[in-house]
Amino acid sequence: MPIGQPSRRLMHFVPLHFVQEKATGGGRRSTNAGLSLTSMIDFLIVVVVFLLMTFSASGETPPSKGLQLPKAENTIDMIDAPMVAINGSQILVDGAAAGNTHAIEDNKRLQRIDELFNILKGKREVWKQLHPGKDFPGVVVLQVDQDVPAVVVKSTFQTAAFAGYPNVSFMVDQLPKSGH
Amino acid sequence: MAGVDVGGGGKGKRRTLDSEINMIPFIDLLMVTISFLLITAVWSHMSRINADAQVPGPPRPDVEQEKVPPEKILHVEMRTPEKFTLVWKQGAQVVNSIEVPRKDDLKEDKGKKLVRYPDLAAKIADEWKNTGSHRDASDRKLDQAVLHTDNDTAYVYIIGVIDAIYGTHRPLTLPSGKTEDVPAFNVTFAVN
Repeated sequence: MPIGQPSRRLMHFVPLHFVQEKATGGGRRSTNAGLSLTSMIDFLIVVVVFLLMTFSASGETPPSKGLQLPKAENTIDMIDAPMVAINGSQILVDGAAAGNTHAIEDNKRLQRIDELFNILKGKREVWKQLHPGKDFPGVVVLQVDQDVPAVVVKSTFQTAAFAGYPNVSFMVDQLPKSGH
Repeated sequence: MAGVDVGGGGKGKRRTLDSEINMIPFIDLLMVTISFLLITAVWSHMSRINADAQVPGPPRPDVEQEKVPPEKILHVEMRTPEKFTLVWKQGAQVVNSIEVPRKDDLKEDKGKKLVRYPDLAAKIADEWKNTGSHRDASDRKLDQAVLHTDNDTAYVYIIGVIDAIYGTHRPLTLPSGKTEDVPAFNVTFAVN
């Protein structure tokens, strides 16, 4: 079958004169309506521009489930570093359990968290083996629930420092800057 | 349909100039781009606040230690719910000490808390202008601030104070010659 130019085909197979007259318009308004695409394309371009402007290529690290991070204004961008989350009384390192804070909360005294210390120390040794000759950055990011008492934060901070991570960053929810 | 007319009709018996650009691939491309950007879009913006533990490095017996005079350090103490104490110390010597009334400006939005200390931030900025050691734009070193808290303070208040300390900014000339605004202090979180 030869390829023909597209044209009106609606109801053409019906061998009735009045049907074909209806289908082709028959002197009245045509049933084939053209759709203006200009406004649609304008809309699509605006959406693409907006999404491109808000696009983040660095990716995002979501906070642990059920953890409420405080908000802050004078912040810096996230970095790729081991993530220590303190959610309630549970401590997680990159999603894996690394002890709890029961003993610290009960005694209300600063103390080292041995399980966390061993995991962080292990991560440090792995990093050194993978990057021989390079200086270890010693950065760890703490995701801490907003209502956790300072003694727990201090204990985690101190444990991280003892394990070779003296540069600690606190993960916060970024607030738009008000300007100075 | 789905085309754009790019000219009027031809003259005489010559080939007509009335042609259409097919817009369907263009619309398809826009749709795919929108889908990709929507799927990869990030609507919550997490960031971080830096603090260090000021742990001394390993001893280097092969390197001769230079004797440098200790720098002035701003100690911010939040040990009581009524006031902050700002103490400038040079080594063990207290250079200056002032008290700032503590007013917790606590706001809560969908369970997320925000604590601000505008009075403390303003006082720290004043203190830095008067006593800070590294105020020149060409000076790449930052002044040091140490935060001391009691054991019962909730984490959100600690973040509020660190945020207030980082609120003081100064210009810094980069090696490229450009000048950018950076925090005037580097914050250390004291665990004692």
